[in-house]
Amino acid sequence: MINLNRTVKLGYSEAAALVMLMMGAKAYLGYPRMMAQFGATAGWLIVLAGGVISLGLWLGIAALLSRFPGKSLMDINVSVLGQYAGLVVNVLLFLYIMATTSLLLRLFSEAVILTALPEVPISAVNLLYLIPVFFAVHLGLEAISRSAYISVPFILVGTLAVVLAMYPYWDAKQLLPLLGSGLWPLLKNSLLNISAFSEVVALAILVPFFSFDAKITKKVGVFCIAFVTVSLVIITVVYLMVFPMPGALENLAPFYQMSRTIYLGRFFQRLESVFILFWTFTAFLRLSAGVMISAVVLQRTLKIPYYRPLLPALAVLMYSLALTPADLLQAVEVDNILRHDYGWVVTFFIPLVIWIIALWRKKGNAHAQENRQG
Amino acid sequence: MAGDKMWKKAVNLLTFREIKKREGFILYGVDDRTENKKEATETATDQRKRIHKKKPEKSHSNSNKKPNGINKESKNDQDITVNKNTTGNKEENNGLKNLLVDRDLAVNKANLEKIYSLPKNKDIVIREFMIFSDSSTKAFVLFIDGICDRKTINENVLKPLMLLTGRSKEVHNANIIEYIKERIIYGNQVDIHNTYEDVIEKVNYGGTAVFVDKCSACLVVETKGWDRRPIGRPETEQVIRGPHEAFNETLRSNTALLRKAIRNENMITEMFKIGVRNRTDIAVMYLEGLVNPSLVEEVKRRINSIDTDYVGESGILEQFIEDHPFMAVPQVLVTERPDRAASFILDGKVVIIIDGSPNALIVPTTFFALMHTPEDYYLRAPYANFVRLLRVTAIFIAIMTPGLYVAVTTFHQEMIPTDLILAISAARETVPFPTIVEVFMMEFAFEMIREAGVRVPGVIGNTIGIVGALILGQAAVSAGIVSPILIIVVAVTGLASFAIPNYSISFAFRGVRFIFTALAATFGFFGITAGLYILLTMMTSMKSFGVPLLSPIGPRTKAGPDIVLRGPLWSMEERPDFLDTLDRKRQPKISRGWVKPLMGKFAESGDKPEQDS
Repeated sequence: MINLNRTVKLGYSEAAALVMLMMGAKAYLGYPRMMAQFGATAGWLIVLAGGVISLGLWLGIAALLSRFPGKSLMDINVSVLGQYAGLVVNVLLFLYIMATTSLLLRLFSEAVILTALPEVPISAVNLLYLIPVFFAVHLGLEAISRSAYISVPFILVGTLAVVLAMYPYWDAKQLLPLLGSGLWPLLKNSLLNISAFSEVVALAILVPFFSFDAKITKKVGVFCIAFVTVSLVIITVVYLMVFPMPGALENLAPFYQMSRTIYLGRFFQRLESVFILFWTFTAFLRLSAGVMISAVVLQRTLKIPYYRPLLPALAVLMYSLALTPADLLQAVEVDNILRHDYGWVVTFFIPLVIWIIALWRKKGNAHAQENRQG
Repeated sequence: MAGDKMWKKAVNLLTFREIKKREGFILYGVDDRTENKKEATETATDQRKRIHKKKPEKSHSNSNKKPNGINKESKNDQDITVNKNTTGNKEENNGLKNLLVDRDLAVNKANLEKIYSLPKNKDIVIREFMIFSDSSTKAFVLFIDGICDRKTINENVLKPLMLLTGRSKEVHNANIIEYIKERIIYGNQVDIHNTYEDVIEKVNYGGTAVFVDKCSACLVVETKGWDRRPIGRPETEQVIRGPHEAFNETLRSNTALLRKAIRNENMITEMFKIGVRNRTDIAVMYLEGLVNPSLVEEVKRRINSIDTDYVGESGILEQFIEDHPFMAVPQVLVTERPDRAASFILDGKVVIIIDGSPNALIVPTTFFALMHTPEDYYLRAPYANFVRLLRVTAIFIAIMTPGLYVAVTTFHQEMIPTDLILAISAARETVPFPTIVEVFMMEFAFEMIREAGVRVPGVIGNTIGIVGALILGQAAVSAGIVSPILIIVVAVTGLASFAIPNYSISFAFRGVRFIFTALAATFGFFGITAGLYILLTMMTSMKSFGVPLLSPIGPRTKAGPDIVLRGPLWSMEERPDFLDTLDRKRQPKISRGWVKPLMGKFAESGDKPEQDS
């Protein structure tokens, strides 16, 4: 491992941790509430179905990646679609990641205000989010992914602690009727809910930094989606069990509400502040990963040697984008539309279309994997 | 101009521009290496040229001695004085380097008197005498009083030369030196040198030079012997179980302590000299055949690239070779225990010992190695793990307790049980300051007691304890300046910071604690998380000689069961992957031979169980 060169290489553990955190961080925001909104008592089924569908779609993207070993999604776009169409798609990808990361910054900042620091101005919280994020992204992908790998166990333990501490309030009857508001809305929302797993496309963007091949990339993606699906299902199920249906729609920060409800005797109560440590830490990692990936996408799109000169511009852009929505409700609404309703277009649909075009125009090496092994 | 510089710095900080020079220091295989080589070859050829230039001059002076000899002396004189004025300059240094030992004893003596500024310099001794009892060959010895062993000089150098010699007829003048070396002088390390540079270097380090008339070379006998501290007990790394030896200030004793611990012919001790004005000896020790050669190469490259006046202590050397000088966490492990250094060598690390320092530097190191103590391995695994868990808790307490206290009392009062918050607010009732002022005041006072405790003369040391504990604690509380609960917080934090085994890293965490407290006072738990995140990313981005500081978990690599907790010793089959040693295996799968018979299947068939997986 003595590595005296400065090439950035990620192992599969780090990559998996990074993508898992990117996908899972939404559990700390309004995700369980959104599921309750779309599926009523069957919200958890939407998560499950969305996860399964995403798995299938990821296999398609993984097939595209294995046709172009060692190439990132941006390079693949250009080589399949040509220079100009590829550029358009890449810019679209960048704008999507930038916009969603900015929205996340806003939502996380609002969550901090909502839960811990009610009197702090949003701009100050935004800034305190941005400074460590800027620092981390300046240090690079290695620092972020390793931090993610180290943090995952702690974050899991923290989340699990909340879920288990809710045990006295679990009430399975709240999950009835099993199909919620009906089969058709369930199906429709399950299809839309694949956006919740759209962060898996980060794996396709970071391919050049991986020290493993496309086959393992596929496995990492499958593992991440499966693991996050299970985690989100558990959190949603517990949320729906603890908060009966109409009330479940009203919590702006469901996870915070859950940790607030904890009452294990007189001493262990009102522990929500302790869990601030866990979810704000996740927020830092999620935002850093978002900025890092948007920087990488932009760097590859513009074909420049370093990403660091882009950071000040990205930070300013993020800061102003995050402060654009007039209030929290508008931010949540925009987030719903951008990430939930149309997120899958950029992250799943376009790469799959490119895969089909690549198959049709016979771009890339269909037997790249076999050749390498042979 | 200043504004321009600031602007440039700011731009560099915000954006990223690769600074070739700095990166070159960190990176392997960049240009500066070839430059060094070029420089080295150039100086070598220069030297040769100069020697060739001087040679005819010398023979000339020898043939017609009187007038030219004086001229030559004055010329040398010039060389030497120039050299003395600007020793730092490599070019001028060659003047002394290239001077050869003269055939004429008087010239030699005059040269040495110039070099050592005699008779101004009072501890330099030149003792003239006659050798060979049957003839009258003149000679003198040169040594520095105080760093040589008088007895050795008297018994092993002067006595045989003056009393016990009878020169056999066949010895030619030119071979006198050889003859003396082989037949007469008892010293166990005797070398023949013919340049002043070599001679002076040895004499400066306790050698005795013997100059003989009509010989263009001289003998240097190893007679080191100064008052040294005996091998003592470790001061900062004490253990209850385990050896109680510590390194001392003598390089040779330290290398010997390691040799004694590792009885292996593959252990290499490479010696280097750094510092232009004071050539300090540095030993680089490693186990060949085990250590990664590129690591040794990198260590040597860094040490040899140092161009400075004086490196007098391991702490100075550490700052010259570390990867990230501005980060809080150290990247070199420092130990005063030979047993610890030996165990690291056997892991495939490199130990650097510098003359005059009772500490050995160990590279590369990881954060987890910094958190271990040698006793962790001498104690049984369950006890060791208990202690290690205690230590991990101590780290978190040392970093975060004041911050948590400030955050909870300022922002998150709801999480404190009612009785406790009543107690806290009752205790704070009389305190006129906000919590943060109170905390900073007490933490600062505590740090002051600690610093004073280190600097205070031993005799009044006890007073500090009394003043600190009594005046600052008791009196501050009864005066209503701080709340009693805060005293508990500060005391626990202080205690925890003493439980961190590494001195440097405990410094790091002490400093970080203040930042966390400030963050907590401004943003509560959110501020603490921001601080933790910066600390973690900072540490994950750091490297120590190419090895990430947080390996083997950030990045994840293969490693035995010895990270935060440790497994039993027999389960540590492989050396850590991040060291990339030539031999990964520490012991076979079954290292306790006696458990074999218990594995029924193998015992019955009489087969040896498979040793490797």
